[in-house]
Amino acid sequence: MTNTILWTIVILTVLGLLLSLILFWVAKKFKVEEDPRIDEVEKVMPGANCGGCGFAGCRAFADAAVHAPNLDNNYCPVGGNEVMKKVADILGYQVTEKAPMVAVVRCNGSCQNRPVVNEYDGDMSCRVKAALYSGDTGCAFGCLGCGDCVNACQFGAISMNPETGLPVVDETKCTACGACAKACPKHVIEIRNAGTTPRNTRRVYVSCVNKDKGGVARKACTAACIGCGKCAKVCKFDAITIQDNLCYIDYAKCKACGQCVFECPTGAIHAVNFEPKKVEPKPVQPVEPVKKEAANE
Amino acid sequence: MEKYLVSPNPHIHANVSTSKLMLDVCIALMPAIIVSVLYYGWSELLILGVSVVSCVLFEWAIAKFLMKREGHFCLSAAVVTGLLLAMNLPSTISWWIVMIGALVAIGVAKMSFGGLGQNVFNPAIVGRVFLLISFPAQMTDWTVPAGFIQNVDAVSGSTLLGMFNEGGLAAVANVDYLKTLFLNIGGSAGEISALALLAGWVFLLVRKVIKPWITLSIFATVAIIATIFNLCAPELYTDAAFNLLTGGLILGACFMATDYVTSPMTTVGGIIFGVGIGFIVMMIRYFGSYPEGMSFAILIMNCCVPLLNKWFHQRKYGYGRA
Amino acid sequence: MNKLTFSIGGVHPNDNKRARECAIEVLPLPKTVYVSMAQHLGAPAKPIVAVGDFIKTGQVIAEPGGFISAFVHSPATGTVKSIAPRKDLAGNNVMHIEITVSEEEIWADGIDLSDTLVTEIPEDKAATLDKIKACGVVGLGGATFPTHVKLNPAPGSKAECLILNGAECEPYLTSDYRIMLERTKEIVVGAAIMQKVLGGCRCVIGIEENKPEAIEAMSKAVSELGYKDIKVQVLKKRYPQGGEKQLIDAVMKRQVKSGALPISVGAVVQNVATALAVYEAVQKNKPLITNTLTITGDCMPDNRQHNYLFRIGVPLSFIVDYAGGIPEQAAKMISGGPMMGRAIANLDAATVKGSSSVLFLSEGATRRKAESSCIRCGRCADACPMGLEPFLLHRLYKAGDVAELEKASAQDCIECGCCLYSCPANIPLLDRIRQAKGMALGAIKARAAAAKAAAEAAKAAAEAKK
Repeated sequence: MTNTILWTIVILTVLGLLLSLILFWVAKKFKVEEDPRIDEVEKVMPGANCGGCGFAGCRAFADAAVHAPNLDNNYCPVGGNEVMKKVADILGYQVTEKAPMVAVVRCNGSCQNRPVVNEYDGDMSCRVKAALYSGDTGCAFGCLGCGDCVNACQFGAISMNPETGLPVVDETKCTACGACAKACPKHVIEIRNAGTTPRNTRRVYVSCVNKDKGGVARKACTAACIGCGKCAKVCKFDAITIQDNLCYIDYAKCKACGQCVFECPTGAIHAVNFEPKKVEPKPVQPVEPVKKEAANE
Repeated sequence: MEKYLVSPNPHIHANVSTSKLMLDVCIALMPAIIVSVLYYGWSELLILGVSVVSCVLFEWAIAKFLMKREGHFCLSAAVVTGLLLAMNLPSTISWWIVMIGALVAIGVAKMSFGGLGQNVFNPAIVGRVFLLISFPAQMTDWTVPAGFIQNVDAVSGSTLLGMFNEGGLAAVANVDYLKTLFLNIGGSAGEISALALLAGWVFLLVRKVIKPWITLSIFATVAIIATIFNLCAPELYTDAAFNLLTGGLILGACFMATDYVTSPMTTVGGIIFGVGIGFIVMMIRYFGSYPEGMSFAILIMNCCVPLLNKWFHQRKYGYGRA
Repeated sequence: MNKLTFSIGGVHPNDNKRARECAIEVLPLPKTVYVSMAQHLGAPAKPIVAVGDFIKTGQVIAEPGGFISAFVHSPATGTVKSIAPRKDLAGNNVMHIEITVSEEEIWADGIDLSDTLVTEIPEDKAATLDKIKACGVVGLGGATFPTHVKLNPAPGSKAECLILNGAECEPYLTSDYRIMLERTKEIVVGAAIMQKVLGGCRCVIGIEENKPEAIEAMSKAVSELGYKDIKVQVLKKRYPQGGEKQLIDAVMKRQVKSGALPISVGAVVQNVATALAVYEAVQKNKPLITNTLTITGDCMPDNRQHNYLFRIGVPLSFIVDYAGGIPEQAAKMISGGPMMGRAIANLDAATVKGSSSVLFLSEGATRRKAESSCIRCGRCADACPMGLEPFLLHRLYKAGDVAELEKASAQDCIECGCCLYSCPANIPLLDRIRQAKGMALGAIKARAAAAKAAAEAAKAAAEAKK
């Protein structure tokens, strides 16, 4: 009896020692030499592995950042300037500050503005729907409303508004990683600046992507851009261009003066974070509380 | 203008649904259930009722309160599990043991894996095996209760396989095979009548609910192994007919091994799955300490299903013949 | 005669050929027609008329926009009102030529409008092919692939068998059946012409067993006309019997390799309606401006089922109104069959060369039921005529695993719809597998492009060394 116990202990001890030796040897033999800074950089990354930087994940970004000669082409949109500063400190690089960005839904085709003409009965996926047909409204360009962007967002920053059937971006959560913009088959979502300067959060954008002629677009959706060009005329900064019956505001040039917002006959141009009284435009576009407007009603 | 539907093709659908398929399985089990109720009477009816009701109840409660998502509750699937579980239990068992079995079957074997379609093991078998290990005495008490039809032979307190396991070949020397085909007193509801079970299986085949390959490969393997052993040493091993007709083999082969979720999806995979079950069940019967091994055989082969699905694929168009 | 069928998968939907007894009627012309520039596979056609031009029926109004493209002819006499984007049946903008139809119809020169059957087959293959091309003939079985391209296989490949597809395996559709009954001899002559162009290969006309009248009529015409090596083959009723790859499997017992063309196994498949168009083009010089269309459905009253000979460019709404309007119980409108047709989102869309039906299905027949969990029954895999495993493709698509999708042959999906048709859990398998197919094809194309670029770079480097 005692013998059995003794033998068991001896055998197991020897076995344990032997195996630990093997493990030690394997660990030594197959050790991958890696720049220790990669681990350091990875530690300060947000760790969402969203791919917003253009790399497969945070570690891939860290690897690229360590091996790059400077940080000009590597920027983590999620961590923003703060994280990039930490990364620069670790690697001893200079970092150029970038203005904060945010995802913007450029469609205001709510159920009210854009009457639904048929009923979609397939898989609830924008990709599937876009491959099948133009969508269940008269507008062939706008939001399809199946929520591929909501599924693509890793930060819970996008949700569908059940009243309008449109996605709503929560500015406080949005990291501008661009996953939603990539997921949208209609290219309705754009990553734009969150304000004219990091301090000034006012911004202006065209909430429409319809390239149909004015009459056709208007018939499909009351909030459509009809490409009339009034905004371009009134803009003092040359920020507005009109192409294919659709105006576009270049956010690099826009000073968010808000003139175009007053001028737009259909209310397709949205102003965000303006003080409420200033934005009170035409009666077509009822006053919206700042927050809600940011969310693109 | 009125709104019309728009969807990708196809625009029509075959008239099948999960609940219809499960309903067909319930119907297929009916002949065996009726026979068992006739012979085992009220106690059998009580077990069936408790098992079905508790399975449905547990599935509903777990889907509703624990998983909190739509679409996890499938009434007819829970009923099938309940029926199969009851058919695997002796008719003398207490109702609260049945409820524990149902809880294990639904809660542990099915819902904890993610509900309908996600479970690795056949829920009813997991429930039965759990009870067999936890309540060995109650689970092997084959006393025949008073039924609606009195049978003169109904004195046996053990199953034929149990007799063989304990007393060797001599104990089962005088078995009339023809009789076991119709009536196999001493055993659970699912073991009572081979003919009734086969009738249900044929119904499923005719309705194209299942394909015959898994069942046939189990039968064939069992028959071949038993014949070989019986020819080599007839004084030690029972023959093919005895092994095919006794115990839960037919119930297992026709209704439990063919469960969609826990069986391979391709025909070749299914045949290998069946051969595996047949082999394991014979090994347990001949060499194991349990008299019956169908449940264990099916559970062991259930583990192999993901691998079988990975290894065996359909013949694709344009890859084989030029 | 023994009945043939394909070897893998397939389903048996109820055939519902309710309009089979309805003779083909000629549909009148509306006041305006809209001729799409994209009614064939490949590059859209380029308009060669200007707004205000007076055009005759059968006159060329657009020329091919690329190698795989086709001529488009005017279906009516009138003036060009506009050349502008217009919404097709899916609601997407496509260039259309709008023609205001005038009272009197004037046909373009050189078109034989008589009914006399011309049975001599022209000897000059090149001239015949040119005629087929000039008349804008495209495949009318669904894919609308330009016929002259298909009938002119690349050098090195030889056609052994011309398969004429008269299977019409889609439920409800009867247009092919009607033309096989009413234009029997023309179809056979068309087949003989194609046979000649392909260098005298054998020709098999495949017809499903549920059309015994068509089988009888076609067999009779074949023996009466006495062309060499044409025979009628009875096929089993099974969907998708009329799929190109399935038909080759059934008739020739050969399978086309993944990514290869049917000609690689010596097969050319053409629809019976295409054969008719070829006949009219070659023997009568008549361009493809008409086709036959079935208007039917489960909620369409029996007395309103029709088969129409329509001019391309006629708006669908005009046809529907002519047939008495949309039936009350209709929940979905489909252009094409119920298995592979496209839902109509815009009834104002114009008909195109490939339009074969307007189908009205009721709510009960067509609305999809709620998706539930996969129970791994494997019915989708049993049904798939390509031998794929839709449940696997579905799972891989959800995981976004393109490499595994390619290994599981997602790119071979023919989008027949058998998987979704037979799924008891109502999982929208095909909707998702179609996306998966796109992903797999994209990966294959990207790899091919990369390989090509690498080869070119290597070649350039080698030349630079010299």
